[in-house]
Amino acid sequence: MNRNLREAPAQSGISRRSILKGMSAMAAAPLATPFLSNAAHAADAIRIGVISPLTGAWTVYGAAHMAGFELAVEEINAAGGANGRPLEIVVGDSKTEPRIVVEQANRLLRQENVEFLAGTFSSAERNAAGPVVQQANKLMLYPTFYEGQSQEFFPGVCNKNMFMCGPEPSQQVWPHVEYIVKNHGKKFFLIGSDYAWPRETNKMFKEKFAEFGGEVVGESYIPFNTPEYESVLREIRDSGAEVIFHSLTGSDTVNFRRQFHAAGMSKDIIIWTVDDEEVVTSGLGAEVSAGTYVSFDYFMTIETENNKVFLEKLFKKFGNDTLMNTVGVGMYNAAHLLAQAITAAGSTDTDKVRDALRGSSFAGAPQGSITLQAEDHQAILPSYLMKVREGWTSVNDMFEQVQFFDKVTPAPARCTLPL
Amino acid sequence: MSDIIGVAIDSVLITLVLSLAASGLAVVFGLIGVINMGHGAMLTLGAYLTWATTTAGLPFILAVPLAAFGVAIVGLLLEHVLIRHFYSKPFETLLLTWGFFMVSTEVIKIVFGTDFRAVSNPLPGTIEIGALQIPAYRAVVAVLSLLILLTIGFIYKKTTFGLRIRALVQNQEVASLLGQDASMLYKQVFVAGAFLSGLAGALISPMLSIDPYIGNVYLVRSFFVVTLGGLGLLVEGTIIGSFVIGGSETIFALATSQVFAQTIVFVLAVVLLRFFPRGLLAGRD
Amino acid sequence: MIEPRVPVSAHSHRTRFGGEAKVAIAVFACLALFPLFVSGYIVYILPQYMIFGVLAMSLALLWGVTGILSFGQAGFFAIGGYAIGLMTNGSLPFGGLFLGLIAAVLLGYLVAALIGYFLFSAGVRDAYFVLVTLALSIVVEQLSVSQSQLTGGWNGMFIMRPTIDLGFTRIELFADIPVYYVVLAAVALIYAGLYAFTRSRFGKVLTGIRENEMRLVSLGVPAALHKTAAFALSGAVAALAGALYGLHSGFVSPSIGGVLFSTEVVVWVAIAGRSSLIGALLGGIIVSSLSNYLSAITPTYWQLALGLVFILTIAFFRGGVAGTLERFVANRRSAQP
Repeated sequence: MNRNLREAPAQSGISRRSILKGMSAMAAAPLATPFLSNAAHAADAIRIGVISPLTGAWTVYGAAHMAGFELAVEEINAAGGANGRPLEIVVGDSKTEPRIVVEQANRLLRQENVEFLAGTFSSAERNAAGPVVQQANKLMLYPTFYEGQSQEFFPGVCNKNMFMCGPEPSQQVWPHVEYIVKNHGKKFFLIGSDYAWPRETNKMFKEKFAEFGGEVVGESYIPFNTPEYESVLREIRDSGAEVIFHSLTGSDTVNFRRQFHAAGMSKDIIIWTVDDEEVVTSGLGAEVSAGTYVSFDYFMTIETENNKVFLEKLFKKFGNDTLMNTVGVGMYNAAHLLAQAITAAGSTDTDKVRDALRGSSFAGAPQGSITLQAEDHQAILPSYLMKVREGWTSVNDMFEQVQFFDKVTPAPARCTLPL
Repeated sequence: MSDIIGVAIDSVLITLVLSLAASGLAVVFGLIGVINMGHGAMLTLGAYLTWATTTAGLPFILAVPLAAFGVAIVGLLLEHVLIRHFYSKPFETLLLTWGFFMVSTEVIKIVFGTDFRAVSNPLPGTIEIGALQIPAYRAVVAVLSLLILLTIGFIYKKTTFGLRIRALVQNQEVASLLGQDASMLYKQVFVAGAFLSGLAGALISPMLSIDPYIGNVYLVRSFFVVTLGGLGLLVEGTIIGSFVIGGSETIFALATSQVFAQTIVFVLAVVLLRFFPRGLLAGRD
Repeated sequence: MIEPRVPVSAHSHRTRFGGEAKVAIAVFACLALFPLFVSGYIVYILPQYMIFGVLAMSLALLWGVTGILSFGQAGFFAIGGYAIGLMTNGSLPFGGLFLGLIAAVLLGYLVAALIGYFLFSAGVRDAYFVLVTLALSIVVEQLSVSQSQLTGGWNGMFIMRPTIDLGFTRIELFADIPVYYVVLAAVALIYAGLYAFTRSRFGKVLTGIRENEMRLVSLGVPAALHKTAAFALSGAVAALAGALYGLHSGFVSPSIGGVLFSTEVVVWVAIAGRSSLIGALLGGIIVSSLSNYLSAITPTYWQLALGLVFILTIAFFRGGVAGTLERFVANRRSAQP
């Protein structure tokens, strides 16, 4: 496998053809059109493969995901590129399917000869890309909030070729357990989609929760695309829960929360969600979402200087009603961290860039300066707890800040360290 | 005690909502034998049309019939261009309607986009019965569902139009000897089925997030509802079938996980299909 | 389905499959020479599409030969993929590559045989059977999500690329070229086996069932048993394809068992031609590779176009591309005295 990867660039005929293919692919994908100008001097460009959920169940997250990376690459190229070379994006659509991620990661590395990968959205998609980047010995930067790393999921995590730019539960969840328990009670019901991220997140949540004497009165995992929630809602009502810790994703989160609200339960039970960022909350509407707690490392309304500048550029490029979220910002930061590391390493060599990424910081991150830890490739990020306002009208007044912690260090990865 | 009543009410609500979702298929599959794999796409289309018309400012109560008529027109086109040539070939109609699903899904993506769409709840609030709270809109949809089924039953059993359809279902040759224009009747039944699917999609839309695949959740469930209820038994069959598929899922979910309850229900449906191939009400074969 | 048709005479049968054998030899020869001219990603990915071609053949065997349509082939595919994964990743006390392949095939065979016998013996048929196969796909997908201790749930399962120990030599299946030829050889063997099967007495009885089941039953043929056997064989082939897929891609996840993938297989086979094994194989290869290529360029319009082509094929070219070509050749022949 490695042998072919090294051979491929030597055959210039193939690579030129594949560049042309890549260009035509990009010309057709509306998201990628702004980069045609870069492709014009593609000869010495550093090609980066971006795997994004452009179609399929999680398309709604795909737009911000792509936009963050595109904006960063435009900035980097305007400032002279990485190590003097412009960056070029080659897009791969994951179709929200892990099996397509395997195909796309291989296509990008083998046919498009990209030198780095960025993206994938869910932990299932990331896990699918894990073995590919491991075997090809290429680096990948992952943007999403995730379940934390533990060796049993290697090579999807605990992979020395992977860097995590989003928060994990010890950052996204732990800092806010105390506040919620103090203000809303100790009886929690945990509901999540039925896959690794919610299950692992809940496991981490329970560790911290126990410290505050919390009681889990129910735990339910919902299969994808479940339209009816009657029985779960009854279970929640009967459990006497005071707070729902919520990690459903995709359309299920919308279905559940609409039915939860319609059942008149939102006035008695508080929801704390670790999934519903700007895009999903917009989809829920003001009535259904009001009063919900949400925690992430980034929200569009956080008041940092960097965020102001970031949003200005974002709106200028994509229009004033563009939605951004933690994942899009994760992609934005990933591109900048990568470009800095390539410049620092003076090369695109995997080992050199990996060394340069370890311990590196990006001062321009919309959240304020962020750092990638050297030993476990996790990011030091801020953590915000927000409450959704009554009667909000747009993302500008959607979230009200409840509390905030700067530079939260993640719990050490449960991997065989160092990676 | 309130727990048992709770489960009972949940089961009734789920049964009736599923009956509504399956009613269009009960007509099309049950009466003229078209295995409409595009049934889910018609539900989806009904939901999107409701979203589009309410977003354009129309009140929900007008948006619903408009969406149903919209889907009926799409159904008419589909029938006229394709389906009518294949009534005697069930596999072909099955595949053609799956093709319709593929095309309609992509057209929906192009026209309406892929973002989450939501129709706001036209009847917020709950109805309280003792300690139980029932979402008001869901209760209304359940009642409407019952009314719609009874209306279908009335038309089928008590009107001359229904009589002609029954004659057609029982014996196509005799029906045409009696001067029935069979192809016109087929067309009317197919369009009525599409109308019902559109109506169901419209009425369900405020309860769900709308995405291009929303109707498919109901596709296979609806098929089992119709086959378990028995072809041609529009009212009682649809309700019994919906109870077995939807209501029992609620009950199984008490004892096991959600995913497993869904799995059990499908396995149960297959087993029942084996022993009652003409539907539960028809008795053992 | 009720229209009476004259059973295909032995003569026309022979010419059709005779022609097919020649096409098959040409196809496999081209595939064998292919890596001499190209390299890189395409050599990596083509084996995967050949494996999809095997999956397509498993459906053609059922639909084209026996007249049973299945919307559940992906269910068996996933069963095979997970079986090989569990047998090679050390989570079971026994295992190994060959044992894993055997387990995958056996499991696919047994599941299909059980379902098939359960339903065919009661006379469940046509649309009702399609419905059951749809349910099968859903159940397999749901089980692979819910049994996460075994399957890794929605996050999927990793599968190590194996090393084949032939006693005198070992083939390490990491580089693309050896993988390509191992898969090609496997696909050619599977094709040859299925081809021989369709031409056997048994295969001809199956064709007879497709043409006129009532008549065969009245002649004393146990049609339910024959249909069960065909379904079981088809399930075994689909599971074998799934096992090969798992080994090749190194990863399986619940969606490979799902309804959408199952229906994709139906689309490949319908467009390529349900009555010809080599047609189905090519259909699986060509349509799935086009899908991958064009969906990178224009995902929505590609799906739309595929849907339209599918409708046109069903409405106007019942036999798909292969059937239409066959008829064209046959007409030319019969036009000449």
